[in-house]
Amino acid sequence: MPGVTLQVESLTKVFGHRRPVTAVDDLSFTVQPGRVTGFLGPNGSGKTTTLRCLLGLVSPTSGSALIGDSRYHELPDPTRAVGAALEASGFHPGRTARNHLRVVAAAAGLPDSRVDDVLETVGLTDAARRRVVEYSLGMRQRLALAAALLGQPDVLILDEPANGLDPEGIAWLRFFLRDQAASGCTVLVSSHVLSEVQQTVDDVVIISRGKLVHAGALSEIEATGRLVSLVRAPEAARLADVLRAAGDAHVTVDIGDDGALTVNGMTAEQVGHLAFVHNCELHELASQTQDLERLFLELTGGDA
Amino acid sequence: MNGSFSRLFASEWRKVRTTKMVWVLMGIAVIFSCMNVVALALVASGTIPGSPGALSGNLLLNPDYITTLLAQVGAAATFVLILGIIAMSGEYRHMTITSTYLSTPRRGRVLVAKMGLFAIFGAVTAVIVTAIVVVVAAVVLSPFEHAPITASAIGSVLLGAVIGFALDAIVGVSLGALIKSQIAAVILALVWILLIEALISLLLPAVSKWLPGGALNSAMDVAVRADPTGGITAADRLPAWGGALVLLGYAVVFAAIASRTTLRRDIT
Repeated sequence: MPGVTLQVESLTKVFGHRRPVTAVDDLSFTVQPGRVTGFLGPNGSGKTTTLRCLLGLVSPTSGSALIGDSRYHELPDPTRAVGAALEASGFHPGRTARNHLRVVAAAAGLPDSRVDDVLETVGLTDAARRRVVEYSLGMRQRLALAAALLGQPDVLILDEPANGLDPEGIAWLRFFLRDQAASGCTVLVSSHVLSEVQQTVDDVVIISRGKLVHAGALSEIEATGRLVSLVRAPEAARLADVLRAAGDAHVTVDIGDDGALTVNGMTAEQVGHLAFVHNCELHELASQTQDLERLFLELTGGDA
Repeated sequence: MNGSFSRLFASEWRKVRTTKMVWVLMGIAVIFSCMNVVALALVASGTIPGSPGALSGNLLLNPDYITTLLAQVGAAATFVLILGIIAMSGEYRHMTITSTYLSTPRRGRVLVAKMGLFAIFGAVTAVIVTAIVVVVAAVVLSPFEHAPITASAIGSVLLGAVIGFALDAIVGVSLGALIKSQIAAVILALVWILLIEALISLLLPAVSKWLPGGALNSAMDVAVRADPTGGITAADRLPAWGGALVLLGYAVVFAAIASRTTLRRDIT
């Protein structure tokens, strides 16, 4: 099975005419098959609008958002091609979960046996005949996911799927998404919290105010985040000067009250080498992982 | 295939079947028609002092009045219209429109399928309401001396109701697509029927036959008989086929405007 790549190219969406609001601003990225991609950004950064453009629910002002090479409504069989779970409110409150899925299955030409399969998959079999009005947020999330899985699609597009899930549910979701990607699926998961998806995703697409901030492997970001070293040296001030002189503009060196140096932008190996070259005695040298969440906030310019 | 009508019909029928709304409205429609039948029969029978029947003798002996009784089936039409409105606008209200358009991104087809299904549903409602009204009429007339309930009267009322309800349901669906707010659409429909069109039919009867309610009455061919006071004359009606065409025209126009405006809007 050849994988399906999602292609967002120069996507721009402006809402409203009198007071136009640019929700997505010249956004380009691709989402690869066989990987879980985290689509990250603060609330209101344009994630949901982008996903809805991909799904044909919102029409782009300019640019394109393609599933493989097609727009969503050109797909011959959308439910079998793409599974989508958007916000968990799209259910008739008086309809049971099972009947909601049977409505979707009928429209997609899928057998009703798939309905019972996906209810089982998401763990809603026992609650399947209850009306959605009685469902908790977490159960609605599971139901939305069940609907996404009905057509056994090659692409999963999930908007904040972990919202309202209990820790057990989040762990299950993590395992499930990894499993889907491992079988060749293209998985795009949005979240406004990096730490929520940190253990799940391979790639990240980070946006802020509708613009791309960073796209690439999560490991690259983690590598950036690890460029912090802690140093203790008797000649702290001299070492600080050495490091400042050797590093580029991004390197900052702070001397703490206890005389310890915090070096941002250099690995421990680089610091140790410079100290050795400049005959500087070291008492302690350690790498410190910068809090990814803080890095994420810096990248997205969040004020949280 | 994305948006095949057999799939869409199956899906839409499940939507109808799996919520109570449709059955509740249908029940109310039946009760409303039957209450009209009972009231008109009692008023005409001459047993209530001061009623038309008491003043001018038992009206139930007039075969036309019996047809008028049966034509109370038409009173259910308003509920069929509301049913159509709710079926479409409800998708926006509960945001089920998201999952509807995800499984069928060809939005125009969703609207056409819903109109088709509700046309059938309107016709079936007409059959059910007519059957119950005939039974209720027979029961309520039994203590009185009355002209017979003829098969031809039942037949003409049934035919009119089947065509009228089917078209009214279609108008409702198209109106619901055009005015996505459920409450606004229902209120507008009620104000139109109960106030605006009622006023126009009083003041400008020649115009009213071209309006949805007048066209519906023409299509059901019951306007004269449904109005025992005789306020509306045959001259103020279109031929039944003309009324049906005018009504269908309203539905097509509403649906066409909706497909160029509301149906294209972003679903957010």
